[in-house]
Amino acid sequence: MTSVTIECRDRVRNGPAGCGRHQRGFVAGGPTLAGISPIGYLSPRPKPGWLTSSDSLGYIVRRLSLCAALVPLAFAIACACARANTIVRLSADHLAFYYDTYQVEADGHVRVQTSDGFSVTGDAFSMDLKLNRFLVAGHVTLETHGQRAAGAALSDFLDFNRIYFVPVTSEPDRWTFLNGDLAHPVKGRIMPGDTFNFPELPKTPSVTASEAVIGTRSYARFSGAWAYVGGVGLPLGSYVVNFSPNQYFAQNSLTGANFDATWNFAGNNNSLSAIHLRYDTFNHTYLAFEQHFVGDHEYAIFSANPLTKSDRFFNLVLYEKLGQRFQIQTFTQYNVNQGVLFQAPPLSVTQTTYVNMTQAFPHSYLQLNSNFTNYNLLGPGSFNNNNPAGNLSHPSQIQLTATSFQNRIGKLPLYEQIYGGYGFNHDSVGAQQYATPIPPSESGLQSFGGNCIYKKGTAPVPCPTLYTTIWNEVAGFNLFMPSVKIGNHDNPYETYYFNAVLNKQRQWNSLPHRIDNTNTTFSLSRQFSRPVNAYLSYQIQNTVDRYLQGGYQPCNPVNPNGTSNQFCPPGLTGFRGASTLRTLSLGTTYAPNPEFNLSLVARQHTDFPAPFQNVFPLPLTNVIGQPLYNNYLGQPPYDLTGDVRFKLLPHMLLDVQRTYYFNYGNIQWSPNFIVQVLPQ
Amino acid sequence: MTPLRRIFAVTCALFAVALIAAGPTIAVTGQLLAYQDGFVFFTTGDGFRVAPGVLIRDAAGTGSTAIVPAPRVWARAHFDANGTVTELDLSKAPLPQEGSFADVARFAVALSSPVPNPDLLPATPAPGHTLVPTQHFSGRPVLVTFTVQVPPTTPFSASVYITTDASGWNAQAIPMDRIDTLHYQITRRLNSGTIFRYLYDRGSFQSQEIAENGLQRTPRQIVVTDADVRTIRDTVYAWLDSRSNASGQQPNGLPTPYNPNPFPNLPSGFPSPGIPTPRPPHPPA
Repeated sequence: MTSVTIECRDRVRNGPAGCGRHQRGFVAGGPTLAGISPIGYLSPRPKPGWLTSSDSLGYIVRRLSLCAALVPLAFAIACACARANTIVRLSADHLAFYYDTYQVEADGHVRVQTSDGFSVTGDAFSMDLKLNRFLVAGHVTLETHGQRAAGAALSDFLDFNRIYFVPVTSEPDRWTFLNGDLAHPVKGRIMPGDTFNFPELPKTPSVTASEAVIGTRSYARFSGAWAYVGGVGLPLGSYVVNFSPNQYFAQNSLTGANFDATWNFAGNNNSLSAIHLRYDTFNHTYLAFEQHFVGDHEYAIFSANPLTKSDRFFNLVLYEKLGQRFQIQTFTQYNVNQGVLFQAPPLSVTQTTYVNMTQAFPHSYLQLNSNFTNYNLLGPGSFNNNNPAGNLSHPSQIQLTATSFQNRIGKLPLYEQIYGGYGFNHDSVGAQQYATPIPPSESGLQSFGGNCIYKKGTAPVPCPTLYTTIWNEVAGFNLFMPSVKIGNHDNPYETYYFNAVLNKQRQWNSLPHRIDNTNTTFSLSRQFSRPVNAYLSYQIQNTVDRYLQGGYQPCNPVNPNGTSNQFCPPGLTGFRGASTLRTLSLGTTYAPNPEFNLSLVARQHTDFPAPFQNVFPLPLTNVIGQPLYNNYLGQPPYDLTGDVRFKLLPHMLLDVQRTYYFNYGNIQWSPNFIVQVLPQ
Repeated sequence: MTPLRRIFAVTCALFAVALIAAGPTIAVTGQLLAYQDGFVFFTTGDGFRVAPGVLIRDAAGTGSTAIVPAPRVWARAHFDANGTVTELDLSKAPLPQEGSFADVARFAVALSSPVPNPDLLPATPAPGHTLVPTQHFSGRPVLVTFTVQVPPTTPFSASVYITTDASGWNAQAIPMDRIDTLHYQITRRLNSGTIFRYLYDRGSFQSQEIAENGLQRTPRQIVVTDADVRTIRDTVYAWLDSRSNASGQQPNGLPTPYNPNPFPNLPSGFPSPGIPTPRPPHPPA
């Protein structure tokens, strides 16, 4: 046997050989496997030329353009190829995948081909995707590069560089191939007890298929696939199960949804393409598309959502970690209203981009966050609203913030964290979305000021100063006490835990005002039994927006024409830019088993300014129906929220939530149930 | 002793020896790995010689069967005194355990003699190091309780989830329950031996936890050991979207640029901040 070294591009082994099967090879004249003559070793096939002299210039340009467009893709693929795993191609009469146990099972005319040149046939196949080993049993033939061996079973422990084989020549035997060396089987070596075990399987498979391509430790791609949900089969054609430990595959650029059924129709070690069937309370039922490219330290994610509605969001998320202490992430969104069938021209196009950079230090980190938005990329007059000029605003923002780690104060059960930053906001064009009332023809971020033109005997003429740039400085700290035990420390069900949190932040603005936020929370909690726990919490949120001159003016409950001002009820006349929200909460959770959970939260709000029915607007909600604000002015004084969560299917939880407002403003219940289907 | 008696005694002795030599047939149950080339293989990896006229029957005792000896089929194998399988009772369903393969191991056919496997031997500790005991996992369900301390800036109404590779990194895979101001908790049933990789988030990957140094963190990982219950306590230092005074990226609608107005829910008719209108001077008398 003459050793042959071949470039290591395939299976990553953790043994001393490192390179795995590509290091093994046979040349003529060497020892044989099962008495059959070997024929050379694996060599890469030469690829045909990509460009030839017969290509036209336009064709070449098109190809170069395509090449440029695919640079990020090639980058991602290159990153992933460096750690590519073994590819196992499997076909059989019956092929099934079991989500519960991550098992691929196949029976009847099983044929397995591995990316490192093996071809195995047999009667049955079983692979544990998590343990990363497979078994072929019954009339097994093993072929590699012209060599052939026959036996009763073969078990390949991919992670351990061990192939256990039961050959049948004149009589059975037991061979072990070490580190991919098929020329020197270790005969008679005792094998692990479960080498040839078939697993216990659920009655119904999750997916059946005719063929599968398995990228070990990463993905399984099924062809001719049917997926089974609740026993009902759905023809999918191609279906990819991604089980890569790389969490970047889960980074997503889609909005939340009440229901999301994902069809991964293509994918490999470093990419995943998916169609989503989704439902939310705003868009209702629609399709979305999402594409992932993933490397070890980077990812690129693109999505179009909702794909089947006229108002679409195209999102692109990019992330790169450079070294051990620096990362950069961008998020770009195009919102295009172009009709369901993309009919031209689009009615509106909006773009926003965030760029976030983080530099880590030994006990703190520095973050630079920026945002740039164009509200109208189509120019004046193209926006489909009543304003012919459209909204040409293009605000930008940059904020630099330094944050310390959480540090314990001496030996006290107290922790502190401080932060501070500097930044600016700028917008020189439109200001419709900012503080009112600014005429659309005006520019700037915020108008501030009073009457600057005054003539004796005439009414004052307002001429507010318009700020196109507002600089700010921020400083804040967090002080918190995670848990202090009270009561019987020996019995966990008789122990109370006390927590306290204080957040304080002050922001100075170049437009002369400062904003103070103070948030204080106390809670007392106890676990009454294994399934039941409860907490009592009291939270005070103070917000003060203090202007050096002027500031918030009292609203007038009576309009100039003598009618009552519906936006200025009596309780709001005292508001001068300071609010205090007090919330008393009592929450309890009953979770008798992991498959069922019931929680109730009762809250009492004692707020200033006090809520008035039909005066404060209802808070904005996300597409699921949850309020965007955690606390807001005008909250109903009392609310009770119930949430029940239970297992609907073996891999599916159903979560239903609704809030009762105790007939506040003739509102008894929150507008909708919040229903979420949570795949497990 | 008369010759007749001698003959009778010898005959009885030979008969007794023959009976003892024949012995009772041994039967074991197990799952078939293969049936080929005159041998039957069980999932222990052992291959046994099959008698030419082996009886193939139904394990339920109904006589003949349509089941063919093949991988995954359960079988009760009857061995004769020579270690040859003379009867196979087949079943598609698992059979109750009978006998032990240790009793028939001597009948297993193998060309090579058993050789110790160094992979299975206890590792030899390096000089100056103590040997870490090998862990064994039964695979039985273990109740694992995750308790996480969240950052003090976490909104009180926030929902916290666990995302894990076991659910394809779905950001809302495992919803947690608030147990006090700073802690959330959930109990899951995981099989021992499971390598569980996970992260915490607030419902999306835009609100995923980040490391204490502000960078995206690698997944947490636990190995579920055999126990009745297990408690995991973690700390989240910050969320990705909770950068102080900065807009988080939320792919759910038009962006909301920084707005100096800290009371976004004020009634729309409420006057915005400004300089008080100076009172006009008294008109000349």
